[in-house]
Amino acid sequence: MAQNTSAIQPHQLTSQRGRQVITAHLTALGFLMPSLIFLGVFVFYPLVKTVYYSFFLTNALGQPVKFIGLANYATLLHDPVFLKSLWVTLIFVAAVTSLTTICALYLANLARKHLRGTVIFRTLFASTMGVSVSVASVLWLFFFQPTTGVSDMILNFFHLPPIHWLTGNVWALVAVILTVVWMNLGFAFLAISGALENVPTHLYETAEIEGVTPWLKFRFITLPHISPTLFFVATVTMINAFQTFGQVDLLTKGGPNNHTNLIVYQIYRDAFVNLNVGKASTESMLLAILIALVTFAQFKLTEKRVMYQ
Amino acid sequence: MMKKIATIIIVSLTFLVAIVLGVAHGKTPTASANQRTTIVFWHSMGGKPAAALKQLVAQYNASQDKYTVVPEYQGAYTESLPKYLNVANSSAAPALVQAQEIATSTMLSTQSTIPMSQLLSNQTTDQIEDNIARYYTVNQQLQAMPFNTSTPVLYYNKGLVEQLGLTPLPEDPSYSDVLQLAKAMTAKTGGKTKGMTIEAYGWLFEELTANQNQLLANHDNGRAPGEYATKINIDTPAAKRLMQLMTQAIQDKSFVNYGSGDIAEANQQTAFLAGKLGLFMQSSASTGDLQANAKFKLGVTYLPHADGIPRNGLALGGAALWANKHQPANVKQGVADFLKFMASAESQAQWRLATGYLAVNKNAKNLPQITSAVAKDPNLGVATQQLATSQKNPVTAGPLVPIMPIARTNMETVMQAIANGAPIDQSLKVAQDTTNQALAAYNAANHLKK
Amino acid sequence: MIIPIREKLWRYTLLIGLSVLIFAPVLVGIWVSFLPNTAILNGQYFSAALTLGNYTQALTQTPILRYLFNSFVVAGLVMVGQVIFSALAAYAFVFLPFKGKNVIFYAFIATMMLPFESQLIPNFQTLRWLGFLNHYAALALPFFATAFGTFLLRQAFMQVPMALRESAMVEGIGHGQFLYRAVLPYAKTSLLTLAAYSFLTTWNMYLWPLITSYSDNVRTVQIGLRQLQATEAVNSWGLIMASAILMMIPSLVVLFLSQKAFKSGLIDGAVKS
Repeated sequence: MAQNTSAIQPHQLTSQRGRQVITAHLTALGFLMPSLIFLGVFVFYPLVKTVYYSFFLTNALGQPVKFIGLANYATLLHDPVFLKSLWVTLIFVAAVTSLTTICALYLANLARKHLRGTVIFRTLFASTMGVSVSVASVLWLFFFQPTTGVSDMILNFFHLPPIHWLTGNVWALVAVILTVVWMNLGFAFLAISGALENVPTHLYETAEIEGVTPWLKFRFITLPHISPTLFFVATVTMINAFQTFGQVDLLTKGGPNNHTNLIVYQIYRDAFVNLNVGKASTESMLLAILIALVTFAQFKLTEKRVMYQ
Repeated sequence: MMKKIATIIIVSLTFLVAIVLGVAHGKTPTASANQRTTIVFWHSMGGKPAAALKQLVAQYNASQDKYTVVPEYQGAYTESLPKYLNVANSSAAPALVQAQEIATSTMLSTQSTIPMSQLLSNQTTDQIEDNIARYYTVNQQLQAMPFNTSTPVLYYNKGLVEQLGLTPLPEDPSYSDVLQLAKAMTAKTGGKTKGMTIEAYGWLFEELTANQNQLLANHDNGRAPGEYATKINIDTPAAKRLMQLMTQAIQDKSFVNYGSGDIAEANQQTAFLAGKLGLFMQSSASTGDLQANAKFKLGVTYLPHADGIPRNGLALGGAALWANKHQPANVKQGVADFLKFMASAESQAQWRLATGYLAVNKNAKNLPQITSAVAKDPNLGVATQQLATSQKNPVTAGPLVPIMPIARTNMETVMQAIANGAPIDQSLKVAQDTTNQALAAYNAANHLKK
Repeated sequence: MIIPIREKLWRYTLLIGLSVLIFAPVLVGIWVSFLPNTAILNGQYFSAALTLGNYTQALTQTPILRYLFNSFVVAGLVMVGQVIFSALAAYAFVFLPFKGKNVIFYAFIATMMLPFESQLIPNFQTLRWLGFLNHYAALALPFFATAFGTFLLRQAFMQVPMALRESAMVEGIGHGQFLYRAVLPYAKTSLLTLAAYSFLTTWNMYLWPLITSYSDNVRTVQIGLRQLQATEAVNSWGLIMASAILMMIPSLVVLFLSQKAFKSGLIDGAVKS
């Protein structure tokens, strides 16, 4: 549409036209200015600065003292703590993304409009979206924690041994995953429910008449129609999962033995606890690259399977 | 056209004004109505010590009308230290900050503080206990005002021990004394009370190895004149003995693992008070909290020593108060005045009785309120005694190492790994290597000349 | 569509069961918030008398109201900022001619892919340099410009009918007037979606307020709850749960009010692009 508007009056004189083009650009600049300035100061400049820091050895005050090229990157890729963090992050992201999407899809399908009173259930399912990070973590912490926790009480009731939710290597990660999936469920549910509403009902009616099984209806009518939304939900959930911080901070602090030490938590520790700006910047860059790669891969993989309306 | 651009600018400006108003609103008060100077004081005290600290501050604020000290909790030491370091030389820096003992070297490296020897008169600094002052004395100057000072002790449910017909622990128990008691408590209660825990806490790791006369860092714990630490010792025979204490207890099924951090501390304390945990080790500062909440007879002993290794004693733990130098003159005066009050024998005695921390003022121990309290409850004297009977050597002077937070995280990682069944030798080696890498990187970036 | 009774029953049972399961942590939290602390520590969840004590204690002895106020201010500032900034930028992208439009637009979109962590340290340094740490400004300023918001509103503005634009041009209405009088009302749903979305995301921010706020005067609820949890040495679970429940109410209300807009605005905008 840029061509559209700039070519309104072709008969005008060039000088006049020139002045008009300049004022048009000034207007556009005026409208864009606030966003451009703030993106510049708080996104582009910091990005460049982070890249810059990642090539330096930095002292305790965060000042770059020595250019070391790619040494920070090389060290990190051989650092067992960072590699573990990377590995844990990938498992975490895969688990959160798939569980969130599948659970939300199941719930949304269950709570479709065919029944009375589903509105209530839909509001309930969506509501975890309104529970904030720290509230959700504290609620779950009470469930997990050993001395007064609910989990042990329930297990005890069934004569099962207690689960070391926050101190066991695997269980701690499971605990964080559960909390995050629970929190994400609301948004995913809302999005998928919305998409389900838009699937044309006549398709189901035809299928009904022909006696198609529910699974086949789901597989060949529902799924293709909501695939763009599923893809959107998976992508958003994934990007958010990569950036999970609060739940780890409140539940496990990265422990036990770094088994829940997600990359963002490691970045926080290196930048703001260990005060190693160079290392933290390098980790940030690797995280950015990782997210870009995984998102790109996801786009490529799902491109062909997603049906756009 | 210009009019439209002007409109946009006006909109943006209005918005900026709104932000500035927001800034003004969120600003920490710098001067209250009656022209008192505000002294922002960052601290890391929670629970009972927090209440005692607030009480002291309130007393100080009421005692004069020039200054208002505002205590602000900034999370545990490990959290408040980096917060301070991040703002040390900026306008967001507080006038006074509490930093833990192992942060001494790091605090000095910021060059953002005034030594107490310059801020206060000799009359005040000379009253500090020598064995406490020496931890914070660097370059012949007292760099910070020692405040809450403690040693870790072992707490156990003496009431339960007596009720079960077991022998209470001696004042200076050995590892096997501890193991036996924990095993017996677990067995006799049918597992209702788990015998023991050792929190995955770097400080405990340090002190339990210091008690075996193990230096944490080379060059006399980094204190040798003209030198700095270049090697950290984590993979040592002393550490192995400590880890074997844990694995033995796990094997005996008398060990319960609460993990590490604030939550673990809260949980082990809650379990102990509920009678579900037999014994644990924690700062002597918890004595006050425990004494107040325990419904049973509380037992307190020295930190255990390894079998066959003579007890070396401990370095002090706790924290000191540091004065920021980038403050207006009247704020600095206020800080000096407040510190003089905090270090006085009366304040220290009050602090000691309210919390279980040791008194840093030499004259406090002779005040009647202290002598009568210790006579009434010998538990209160254990930590003082433990520090007083410690050997005077570089181990007990404490490590002067800049990357202690990382070292502690690594020690905690090892302790957690071993509690989860990892092999001892390999875990200790990994922790030592990672710590030394971090130290080498720190030294490379901060001691460029060498 | 007609569903057999048996399937209906089955569905209702499932729905109720799952709702209880999903809501269990909240239900437990609410229940615990009414119990005295001693009962919680001794595991007497059903035998103790219920009390409002935790709530009165939370409201009178902790800075929870201040935390809530701070969160409202910060989330409100970011919300207003994002709506204004995005509307202006989106207007330029849709209605104004200028060179390099595509390049600038893609630069905007590219920022959506960047994790905030890659800007964390320099942003902290910038705000420290500005002297804004521990002020509302530090919590709000970095989030005013938003590629996502701009994108969302651009999609909405593109739906504005040609006729509306042409008549505006004939009448000679300026861009500011056109945006304010015609475009914004037309894209009301999307504006509402963006407002709710930015309010909730800001309300939910954790890492950034954790490192930039140092006093209860500016701490938001997320950090406030963490603070409460850390200050209680022997965990006062009743108090913490009461605070958590109180802190949950505002964001839930915002969600319920905007649920409809969310479904249509956010999802359509994002998917049909």
